[in-house]
Amino acid sequence: MKIVKTMMMELKNSWRGYGLFILVVILLIGGFTQAFPAFSEAFEDELDGSENIEVDVVEDGGGVIVRLSWVEIDDAENYTLLVGASPQMIVPIDRVDGIQEMHYEYYTPYDEDGSMPETYFAVVAVSGEERENEFVGMETNIDRRSPLEELWGMDYGDIQGFISVLWDMWWFLLIGLYVGYISVNSVSKDFEEDRMDILLSKPISRKQYLLEKFSLVAGYTLFLMIIAGLVLIGSVYSVGELGNVTSSALVLSAVLSWPVFLVIIAFSILAAVYLEDSKKAMGLSFIFILVEFGIHLVGDISDSLKHVRPYTIISYWDHEAALYGEAISLVDVGFLIVIAVVIFVVTLKLFERKDIPT
Amino acid sequence: MKKKPVLKIRNLTKLYGDIVGIKNLDLDVYPGEIMGFLGPNGAGKTTTIRACLGLLQKTEGDVKIFGLDSHEDSIEIRKRTGYLPGDFGLYDDLKVKTILKYLLSQSGVSDESKMRELSERLELDLDRKYGNLSKGNRQKVGIVQAFMADQDFIILDEPTGGLDPLMQQKFYQFLKEEKEKGKTIFMSSHILAEVEEVCDRVAIIRKGKLQVVEDIGSLKEKMGKKLVVEFDDGVDPSMFDLDGVQDVQIDGRIATMIVTSNLDEVIKRISKNDIVNMSLETFSLDQLFLTYYREGGSG
Repeated sequence: MKIVKTMMMELKNSWRGYGLFILVVILLIGGFTQAFPAFSEAFEDELDGSENIEVDVVEDGGGVIVRLSWVEIDDAENYTLLVGASPQMIVPIDRVDGIQEMHYEYYTPYDEDGSMPETYFAVVAVSGEERENEFVGMETNIDRRSPLEELWGMDYGDIQGFISVLWDMWWFLLIGLYVGYISVNSVSKDFEEDRMDILLSKPISRKQYLLEKFSLVAGYTLFLMIIAGLVLIGSVYSVGELGNVTSSALVLSAVLSWPVFLVIIAFSILAAVYLEDSKKAMGLSFIFILVEFGIHLVGDISDSLKHVRPYTIISYWDHEAALYGEAISLVDVGFLIVIAVVIFVVTLKLFERKDIPT
Repeated sequence: MKKKPVLKIRNLTKLYGDIVGIKNLDLDVYPGEIMGFLGPNGAGKTTTIRACLGLLQKTEGDVKIFGLDSHEDSIEIRKRTGYLPGDFGLYDDLKVKTILKYLLSQSGVSDESKMRELSERLELDLDRKYGNLSKGNRQKVGIVQAFMADQDFIILDEPTGGLDPLMQQKFYQFLKEEKEKGKTIFMSSHILAEVEEVCDRVAIIRKGKLQVVEDIGSLKEKMGKKLVVEFDDGVDPSMFDLDGVQDVQIDGRIATMIVTSNLDEVIKRISKNDIVNMSLETFSLDQLFLTYYREGGSG
């Protein structure tokens, strides 16, 4: 019961900050999800006139035959096909004039590495004595992905992908930095404000003291995750996307981040116990969080750097699996919990041998 | 038969690197007594107290409280020991009542009667926020939290700092009542008058080493009396050549000395001369204290 009373005491002492942050989380998550419709449209980055052209790709030995067909244009005498390596097609790599039919087969050899080259085709109708040109449309031989999709390797055009952006880009930093801040303060303030002597003169062990601090922040963080999940359900419902993702998947994707934050809580308390000074401890905690986030970014930006991913705790939070209803790796969850426990035990050993400063 | 000490310190040493906090300290505090712990700043009073409570890791030595090891059995000890630190803070944004109730619960006690009684006695407003209290009122909060769990042994580090003289008197009265109830109190202090008023025994520490442990009456007795005699004519110093007479100083017709024994013989000898004036002073604790500190302890 002492642990509950300590948690209540800390909440009474810090409820304004805790409450305000919950409000921030509600507003951010609710507001972020409202941007989904506009975001989703932006991802429908179709090529101009692609609805007028159909492409069929057939493998043919050392390359592919791209079968193009397009809609007929009134008064067109013939058609010109422009071929380029990018949609801008500033300098076409090929040009075929005088096509009389509304279809054409274009042969493209494989690249040296055996892959199909990304090729763009533009069809222009030519008519009249002055050889007037009318753009018919543009298409490509590959499944197009947006630049962000290319970057993160996911389809962010659906609600799951969109929420993954929230988790990947905002959640870890936002919650991580705040959790680091309150974890450090929960211990450092007792040092700095000279409370430690009185608190530790009561019949509680140092282990219990640390457990109380850890439990308070961990409990608050779990509460935040659940609130975030619930707000997400309401917000996703309000943009008409709840049919595409289950409520439980939304809550689970948030709650699965909890073990990541347990590691941050444990590390921040270790920093506070070791350094005693809240500013120094907070600096160390923030550096840890930013380094973890940096590794995560680097590992995701390029496949050639993906080998660094295991070195960030964020990699063990599989929110995509949760959102898409795939199996959750309990090994990953367990791994994070083990790291948090190990850091906590190290902190405890350090604290038990420590002189309490005056 | 002598009672078993509540606090038994043997060979206690605390080093901060090369700096000596306390060195080879031996001390016993017995049940039902109020022991004063005197020393100037940096003498090692707070270090001793905090090492006893396990807030500092001792370098060497043993501390037993209620016969229990201060390190191994610290939780059991803290169930039975109240503590007022010399410097402390609490939660500025919370009401005193909330803080005290919480600290009481941490001691595993639900009875708030002593908390309320002592607060009333010290005129402490429980409904005020701790952060809005004056230094004296904050000290009262510290005192209340040290005593409110009604524990058998109380350790106080400079307990009256910030209290006004009237409140100090109330506190001394309260300490005497607690002693009457059988409580044991170990208190450090700079205020010699308060030690003289409430303590049964006093331990004086200097530069981390214990100088003397004595009951106050015996200590004064041992320190002797200051005798000043003004003669009508010149003084013959040889008349003071007696056991128990020290530090004889002659200044014209005035002789000053410390008499620790043989006072009767001294009076007889000087009465053979014409005396203009004479005074005999008992050493105050202040003077004793200064003597120990100037000389590094002679007793």
